Amino acid sequence: MENIIEIKNLKKYFGNVKAVDDISFSVKTGQLFAFLGLNGAGKSTTINILVGVLKKDDGECVINGNPIDQIQKILPDIGIVFQSSILDKKLTVYTNLKYRALMYGLTKTEFSERLKYFCEKLELNDILKKPLEKLSGGQKRKVDIVRALIHKPKILILDEPTTGLDPKTRKLVWSLITELRKNENLTVLLTTHYMEEASIADYVVIIDHGKVATCGTPIYLKNKYANDYLRIYKYNNKIINLLSKSNMDFSKYKKYLEIKFKNTKCAMDFIVNNKNLIEDFEVIKGSMDDVFLAVTGKELKENI
Amino acid sequence: MKGEVKKLFYLTERNIKLYFKDKMTFFVSLITPLILLVLFITFLKTTYENTILEIIGDLPLESKLLNAFTGGWLFSSVLSVSCITVAFCSGIMVIDKINRANIDFLVSPIKKSTLQLSYVIANLFSTIIVCLILFAIGLIYLGFVGFYLTFVDIILILVNIFLTSLSGTLFANIIWSFTNSQGVVSGVCTLVSAMYGFVCGAYVPINTMGNTMQTIIGFLPGTYSTILFRQNFLNGVLNQMRKTLPDELVSGIASGFDCTFSMFNKNVSTLAMFLLMVGFVFLVFIILMLISTLKQKRLKHKVKN
Repeated sequence: MENIIEIKNLKKYFGNVKAVDDISFSVKTGQLFAFLGLNGAGKSTTINILVGVLKKDDGECVINGNPIDQIQKILPDIGIVFQSSILDKKLTVYTNLKYRALMYGLTKTEFSERLKYFCEKLELNDILKKPLEKLSGGQKRKVDIVRALIHKPKILILDEPTTGLDPKTRKLVWSLITELRKNENLTVLLTTHYMEEASIADYVVIIDHGKVATCGTPIYLKNKYANDYLRIYKYNNKIINLLSKSNMDFSKYKKYLEIKFKNTKCAMDFIVNNKNLIEDFEVIKGSMDDVFLAVTGKELKENI
Repeated sequence: MKGEVKKLFYLTERNIKLYFKDKMTFFVSLITPLILLVLFITFLKTTYENTILEIIGDLPLESKLLNAFTGGWLFSSVLSVSCITVAFCSGIMVIDKINRANIDFLVSPIKKSTLQLSYVIANLFSTIIVCLILFAIGLIYLGFVGFYLTFVDIILILVNIFLTSLSGTLFANIIWSFTNSQGVVSGVCTLVSAMYGFVCGAYVPINTMGNTMQTIIGFLPGTYSTILFRQNFLNGVLNQMRKTLPDELVSGIASGFDCTFSMFNKNVSTLAMFLLMVGFVFLVFIILMLISTLKQKRLKHKVKN
């Protein structure tokens, strides 16, 4: 797979604030790429540079083979969902989407076909004729996502797209994105606070204070930074005594014991060595929360 | 090029829809000139009638002519003011900035000049619609009190509505380029509504002002727009008056009520006034395009998420 987004030594300062400070990364075509970071870490600034809303101070950005300076060549390939809706509140959903589609040169027939597809996928038919200001937060978000996808972009940029969405809508949105990735080879770059969304990404970049703190696949990051947990469901005092004597880090719950291991291999060794004491168990990988905490020293959830 | 023209059309359509969807904005745009008109008729009509009667002394003048003259004068005033004030109070550009819709267009493949032009055309359209409604009310009013407008007068009034609204729209858009605040828009709107009528000689005849003020006003293009409206609305009445009153008296009325204008003791011709208006429109258009280009370059440095 070739790189559809390439960023090298990107910098953006606002006075003394180094919003983006010498970051480099690349996104491959068709990849689901997640940007993790606290508020103010530099995620949105980077995204705004990619779509031409902000001008970079230094560095290189190339999107689909075009340098960011030629933004008019890049924009038809990009669809973006901002943190808050920026569509016209007084106009209906249909009118909003129609005018946006026409800006990309879609014919009215192409627009109708595309709209029909999204209406089916995101259950929009009932709200098409409603003004945007009359919609709920979740409905507005769905419209924002359709607006970003209406012109068949090659890259979809999602700036915390599912914040505040109910689980059903979130599932609908992700189901649509997955289908478009499969059928249209859509590349997705997202910033999110939801660890489950970061976990399904192909590649994750954690950004802190405008710098790339670490990057890699979720599995790589979990293996490198997060602990593994062994849950033993049927246990007796023998194993508790063993754990206590060995000074191992464990917690006792009503239905299971949870033992913390540095990595999967340590957990496996423990299971093999004590197979007579263990009847029912599971090994759980550390979460992206653990990765984030280990890398930045901060709880991601606290900042939501 | 063809694609860009289409985008301009759709953007303009969207801007106009947004303006008329906001019923309150449209209502306020329309009601303000109507209130002005009622105030004119209530407080100033009699004053101007008395002034004309003083000028002609004991000579006879049909009340129909008198009413047609004051009516035409009042409507020329209201229209010359409204073409500017409505333009200043009906801009979509600032609303887009406040709602961040401008960001949505920034990330769409639209040339900035196309977007700017769509704001101007939509603003112009909204202003002209409001002014045409006022003009229609004026025609109905004159139809009742005394109608002396010719077909050419009506066409010239329409041309003047277009030119004045265009200059107001362009000028307003220059100012809106520098603000993101609804407060500033409301402030400027109120300021323009309050001041412009005096500055362009719509509320008070220029001839009653001091020499210095007359000279200053002579440098403002709005003055010529007002005088052109006066000429178009009142030429027919004045020609009718000439049938029963001496020429000197009618000329006195015409100059006293700003149907003619002198600058440095030279009479400014109608053609010169028209060309001045056209020149001003071109000037503000070029300034707006320059500002728009420069602002676009600076915006990318300044906009924060």
